[in-house]
Amino acid sequence: MAEPLIQLRQLTKSYGRIVALRGVDAAVDGRIIGLLGPNGSGKSTLLKCLLGLLPYEGEARVLGLHAATHGAEIRDRVGYMPEQEAFLAGMSAVELCTYAGELSGLPRTEAMQRAHAALYYAGLEEKRYQPIDGYSTGMKQRVKLAQALVHDPEILFLDEPTNGLDPRSRDEMLELIAELPERRNCTIVLSTHLLPDVERVCDRAMIMHQGRLRFAGTMDELRSTRGRDTELVVDVKADADKLAAALGELGARCEVVSPLQLRVELPADATSITVFQRARDAGVQVRGLGVRRETIEAAFLRVIGDPAPVAPPSSPEVAA
Amino acid sequence: MSGAKGQIHDLGYKRYVGTRRPPSTRWRVIARHQISFAWKTWWRFKAALGIAIIATCITSGLMLFASERSTSVGLAQAIVKPLIDSALPESIIWFCRAGFLVSLTIGAGVVASDVQSGAFTFYFARSVKPFHYVAGKLVGLCALLAIIVFAGPMVISGLRVGIADSPEQLIEMLPYLGKTAIIGAVATLAYAAVPLGFSALLHNRRHALALWAAYYLIFGEMMHALGRASDSSGWIAAIDIPHAVQALAYDLYDIKFRAQRDANIPVEAAVVALAAHVVLAIAIVLHRVRAAQRAGIGGGA
Repeated sequence: MAEPLIQLRQLTKSYGRIVALRGVDAAVDGRIIGLLGPNGSGKSTLLKCLLGLLPYEGEARVLGLHAATHGAEIRDRVGYMPEQEAFLAGMSAVELCTYAGELSGLPRTEAMQRAHAALYYAGLEEKRYQPIDGYSTGMKQRVKLAQALVHDPEILFLDEPTNGLDPRSRDEMLELIAELPERRNCTIVLSTHLLPDVERVCDRAMIMHQGRLRFAGTMDELRSTRGRDTELVVDVKADADKLAAALGELGARCEVVSPLQLRVELPADATSITVFQRARDAGVQVRGLGVRRETIEAAFLRVIGDPAPVAPPSSPEVAA
Repeated sequence: MSGAKGQIHDLGYKRYVGTRRPPSTRWRVIARHQISFAWKTWWRFKAALGIAIIATCITSGLMLFASERSTSVGLAQAIVKPLIDSALPESIIWFCRAGFLVSLTIGAGVVASDVQSGAFTFYFARSVKPFHYVAGKLVGLCALLAIIVFAGPMVISGLRVGIADSPEQLIEMLPYLGKTAIIGAVATLAYAAVPLGFSALLHNRRHALALWAAYYLIFGEMMHALGRASDSSGWIAAIDIPHAVQALAYDLYDIKFRAQRDANIPVEAAVVALAAHVVLAIAIVLHRVRAAQRAGIGGGA
């Protein structure tokens, strides 16, 4: 079995008496992985540990390399788009990206070619020759993305890439990010506190809270971390209250929205088939049955509010 | 920005399969960038280069003129030779002034400017180590300063050797080149490392420039004036970098004559003061950069 892109075993990092990461265990693979968490949850510290920039206890492996001992090799194979501005005064975008490529070990000619390609990909085209100092926030974000891409990384760490962007620029940035895995053949770790961004582009999520990994799995698993869909919306031809009463005998909690619709929260041992059986017994015709999906915000709040680490049972990659 | 809908532009992506240069070569990239960046604006480097060229031309012209006169008019060697010999040591102070201009416009802002613009994150998110960063910046600055405070005196000393009256005198003058190389190298290192150290002391580029200028122009001159006022305080005067360099030049060229405006700085004091400046400055920069990297990318600024 191939080694996961990122593997963490009892990863612990303390700043004096402040514990930023507390024994984090995870094995992460995916296409676009959302790293979620409130401020101070340990996201940035985790990224720094993965880049081999901070000493830590435990084990952190990226692309099969130990971050503690192979930090430089990892950083040559990983791209990092920082949250804050990280430019060099007086440089144009193409100069900055060429320089970035060279600092990652590319020969000068190759770095220059890839700088043009990365900036073109990021949509800067003719603006790439202008000094970065005069760029708008959106353009600066694009330059940051391009400089992270220029050396052809296998993993891209994006730290709050849509911060400070107007809605249109944000859409454009998210579109670029969503296209990256196919077009650039890389995996993305998207660190953000903006849940809609994660919902839109990520296929997997890691949620950090108080230095612990509280969830790691797919987005679908995040919304149904109780293991199955227990909340249903049932449309009936008539007599929703009769079905509610029948399901109530099983211990289900039902809310009749109208004579034609009810919301049902099933007990632990019941499934959607139970609803159909009870409807048949009660002589009620079911016209439709839908799963009430939890919003990403609700799922996030539930995960960080839950004192116990949450691991979806269906995810073999998660050991949190 | 591109159109309303975020357009994806791709010139055709290919995975890079070539070899990557080892991390130990990063300092060369940083040094080359330092040089090319300095060349971009005329006032950063080209103005100082102009001063150095003028100083080289004037000193060379004076030496040639004196050399011609000594043969055509038949002036006594005893009068002309010391004049020719003292031309280079006397010109050192001008090269130091040009060096200071470069150190002020480029050197003293290097680290502070990087801290200010968040460039530490840019560097250390890659396979760049603090040592590579410091070595690259120092070598880049040294290369720039060598064009001014090393190349100029070397041209003059080459000319001095070239205008020797006889093959015997030429052979006798050859060590002149080595001595000039030593003085040029010491001055280059001092004018590159010390402002770099000052640039690491503060987070703001302009403040770092002001601090270096104040140290060099005010504090240095004060120390020199103090040393001149007291004959026994040559060690204090050695804190003034240009006069320390000049004292070293006087000693190496075996020039006994000192202008009244100069303090009598012992060569030991000049060497110790210059070495202390350089070592302390490099230690400050290394400490500053390592501390920032230890705090995480760009942290600790």
